[in-house]
Amino acid sequence: MDWRSLMLLALFAWAWEARAAAPDPVTSVMWDYYHQRLLNGEAFVFDDKVRLEVPPFAEDARQVPIQIDASAYRGKVKRILAWAELNPIPRILDFAPGEHLEPSLAIRIRVEQATPIRAAVLTDDGVWHIGSARVEAAGGGCTAPSVVRAEAGWEERLGQVLGKRFVRGEDSRLRLQVSHPMDNGLVGGIPEFYIEQAELRDADGQVLGRIELFPAVSENPTLTFDVRGDRHAELWLRDNNGNEFQAAF
Amino acid sequence: MRWMLLMMCLFASLAQALDYHLQPRQIADGVWLLEGSTDNFAVENGGNIVNIGFIETADGVVVIDTGPSRRFGEALRQSIEKTTGKPVVRVLLTHHHPDHVLGNQAFADTPIAALPETSRLLAEQGDAMAENMYRLVGDWMRGTEVVLPTEEIQEGVLAIGDRRLQLLALRGHTGADLAILDERTGVLFAGDVLFYQRALTTPNSPGLDVWLADLDRLEALPWKQIVPGHGPVTKDAAPFVQMRDYLDWLDGLLREGAEQGAEMNELIRAPIPERFAQVSLSRYELIRSASHLYPRYERNAMERVDTNP
Repeated sequence: MDWRSLMLLALFAWAWEARAAAPDPVTSVMWDYYHQRLLNGEAFVFDDKVRLEVPPFAEDARQVPIQIDASAYRGKVKRILAWAELNPIPRILDFAPGEHLEPSLAIRIRVEQATPIRAAVLTDDGVWHIGSARVEAAGGGCTAPSVVRAEAGWEERLGQVLGKRFVRGEDSRLRLQVSHPMDNGLVGGIPEFYIEQAELRDADGQVLGRIELFPAVSENPTLTFDVRGDRHAELWLRDNNGNEFQAAF
Repeated sequence: MRWMLLMMCLFASLAQALDYHLQPRQIADGVWLLEGSTDNFAVENGGNIVNIGFIETADGVVVIDTGPSRRFGEALRQSIEKTTGKPVVRVLLTHHHPDHVLGNQAFADTPIAALPETSRLLAEQGDAMAENMYRLVGDWMRGTEVVLPTEEIQEGVLAIGDRRLQLLALRGHTGADLAILDERTGVLFAGDVLFYQRALTTPNSPGLDVWLADLDRLEALPWKQIVPGHGPVTKDAAPFVQMRDYLDWLDGLLREGAEQGAEMNELIRAPIPERFAQVSLSRYELIRSASHLYPRYERNAMERVDTNP
C-alpha cells in the first residue's frame, strides 16, 4: 500500500470516528478521560442548555470568573460538577442544590494554561448534561505566588466573609467573598490549605445546598448563589485544617 | 546552490517584513510624531500601536517614549537622526507600559528619565511585560530586554536648549504618568492619560476617579494641540470629552453592577453604548477592565456578614 492509499484510509477512518460520536463543542482531547474518571463513564449529552459563561480570555489567570446556569433543568438537578480540563488541579466544585436553590452558581478559579472548562449537570433521569466553554490564557495562575499571604495580617482575617443579599424579583441572589489563601500545594513550601466544604442552611438548620470545593478555586473565594424566595440563609464553611466559619444573610 | 538561493530569498523577505517603516510627521515647529495604529498588539503590527514623539532643541533632540521593542527603538533613533541631523540628548518616558519603554536599549548611551514610581514599576513588572510582548508580537521582539531609567524627574519645568517643557506628574493610568507640554508650540504629549478613538486600558489604574481628576489638571494647561498616547492628534478638546464620557460610563457600569449583584461574566457582556462604536477595542478592554477593577467595586458594595464566634 503506498502512502496515498494510507492517507485516504486514515481520512475515512477519521470521518467515521467523527460521525459516530456527538461532536464535542470544544474538541478536547481530555474529554474521554474525565468522562471516565469524574462521571464513571455514565450516560451524557453535550448540551448548550447548560449555560457555562467564561471570559474569552483570562486577563488574570489567578481569578477567572465562571458562571453556571442549569435553570433549563430547574427541579430536576441532582448535582453539578465543574472542572478545567488542562489544569494541574482540574476539579473546581461539586454542588448539590436543594429544592430551594436555583441550579446555578458563579465562582472564580485559577487556570495554569488555556483550557476547556466543563459544567456537568446530573438530572434525575441519570443523564449528565455537559456545558462546555474554553478560556484562552497566558497561564501561570495555579503556580503564581499567593497574593493573600503577601498581605500583612491575613491570618487575622482568615474566614472573614464579605457578602450581600440582592433581591431579584421574588428571589434573592447571595454573593460572598471569604478571606482564605486557598493554597493548592503547587507553590513551593506551602502545603494545601483550602476551604473544602460549604453549606447553605435556613433558619432551622435545614440544608439548602451543599458544595464541595477544590483548590482550583481562587484565593479569597468569590461565590454567587441564587435562592428561591427571600428565606434567611446561613453559610457554613470548613477548610481542610478543620477551621469552621459562619456567615448569615 | 539553488536551495541556498531560495533560503536567502526567504530570509530577505522575512527581514523585509519586519520593518516598522517609521515615517516621522512634523506636527509643529520642531515637534515630530510617529503615530501608531489603534489596534491591539499583533504580529502584523509588531506592537507599533503607540504614539511616539520627539522635540528638536538647540542642544539636541528630546525623545518621548521609545516604543515596543529594541527593533523599534533602533529604527526610531535612525529616523530621528535622519530627520533632524542632531543627536538625542534625553529620553522622557511617560509611564512603564511595554509599548512605551521597550525601545530603551537603542538609547542606552543617553540619559533616560522617568518619574521615580515609573522606574519602580518597570523594575517590578518589566520582565513579565516583555515576556508577554514576545508572546503577542513574536519575532519583532528579538533581542529586546528591559532597560531601566537612569534619571529621576519630578513635576515642574525642564529646560533643554532653547525649549521649556512643562512636566506634570499624574496617576490615573498607572499610578505614575508623565505628561509633557512644549511651551513654545503648545503641543501636549499626554501619554496614556489620554486615549482617543481607542479604548483605555486599566491594568495598573489606582481608580477611575483618580483618572478623572487628572483630566481636569491636564485640560487646564495652555495646550494648542493634543497628542494622546494612543489615537489621532487633535487641535480641539475632543479626546478630553471622549475620555470623560468613557470613564463615567465604565465607572457607572461597574458601580451599578456591583450594587445590583451582577456577576463579572454578566458585566463583560453588557451592551456598549452606540456612541463608542468608533472607539477601537472597547469590548476587549471592557473584559480586561472588569477583571482589573470590578473586585474593588464588589467589595465596596458588600459588608461583613460573618458570624464567627
